[in-house]
Amino acid sequence: MKHHTRTAVSAIFPIVFACALFLIVGSLWGQSASSDSKSAQKVSASSIQVEPMDAGDVPIPPEFRIAIYENLITQIEKTGKFQHVYRSGDKDAASAPDLVTLRTTAQSFTKGSQKKREVTTVSGSTSLTLKVHITDHAGQTIVDRDVQGKVRFMGENLRATYDFSKKVAKIIRDTF
Amino acid sequence: MSIQKPIFNVCVTTNSFLGTGTGMCVRGLFLLAVVAALMFSPLRARGQAAGTSPVAPSVAQTDVKLVIGGDKVKNYSVGTLSIVGSSLQFATSKTKAEVEASSILDISTNEDSRQNIAGAAHLATMAIPYGGGRVLALFSHKVDVLTVEFKDAGGGYHGTIFVLAQGQAAPFKKQLIALGAKASVPLAEPAPTNK
Repeated sequence: MKHHTRTAVSAIFPIVFACALFLIVGSLWGQSASSDSKSAQKVSASSIQVEPMDAGDVPIPPEFRIAIYENLITQIEKTGKFQHVYRSGDKDAASAPDLVTLRTTAQSFTKGSQKKREVTTVSGSTSLTLKVHITDHAGQTIVDRDVQGKVRFMGENLRATYDFSKKVAKIIRDTF
Repeated sequence: MSIQKPIFNVCVTTNSFLGTGTGMCVRGLFLLAVVAALMFSPLRARGQAAGTSPVAPSVAQTDVKLVIGGDKVKNYSVGTLSIVGSSLQFATSKTKAEVEASSILDISTNEDSRQNIAGAAHLATMAIPYGGGRVLALFSHKVDVLTVEFKDAGGGYHGTIFVLAQGQAAPFKKQLIALGAKASVPLAEPAPTNK
């Protein structure tokens, strides 16, 4: 019986070892390939202009529109990827040579309740989904993605806009 | 003192040119006094207005929270919101922000609710055993949210959110519209009372 076990272990061990080695090599190769593709996809731009959110038909309260805009400006400035972060309508933006433009369009909005969230912990979450569209000077699309902002447990409803802008800042870090 | 010199000179000149005696001198002095009074009175009035009494705010509210969008003022600062002259002003103990009414693109008011316990105390309530913190979360109060969208000197778009005590946002909106601010949603008329 013991002899059989030893034989089985000796037969299985090389297979397991080979599989583990294959997985390690595969993951390392994948990582390097993805980092290569990421660096290859990076776009260079010295300045960005942020346009106010287009609410479309989605009924978003004005305080959410403003909080989205101001949080976006703050978070994009924090990335340090651009020399200038221009606000919409800024006259100086016209002279920027490689300006990219960020536009956001509302897709959905659910206003929750801070009271509900903190009492029940399962309901009352605030969420908003916006289409994030970044174009270059020639109008070519650089980024076109739906991004969601949420506040589930703690904090005011407006915190969803902070969550959203943090995610947009991450996209910008990955793209530029 | 400075007025006395020209009076003396005029008197001398009238005497030297016309030579009619003291009557003419008195008349000349009288005329000069009237002219001097007319010349200096508006200047003095203007000086008084500019120097001593600053323009009193027409609408003012203390304990207003600036949630976001104060350029130099930190987010969640508490201060005094007022309309001084033709501009909206938010002042804390350290800094001050000002927006000219004519540069306001849109102004709106909204109702919301805020919890009575906020900030660090709110975190502390989470430590209360047997869900005590959740019970405290039930206590909240209604507030007014005032949002102001405006453009700066360079044409850049800005937005600011203020949280005020309930019923305090409407007077600001009304006053700012009167001063030239734009509003996409007009100020709601008070409902007619049926007696």
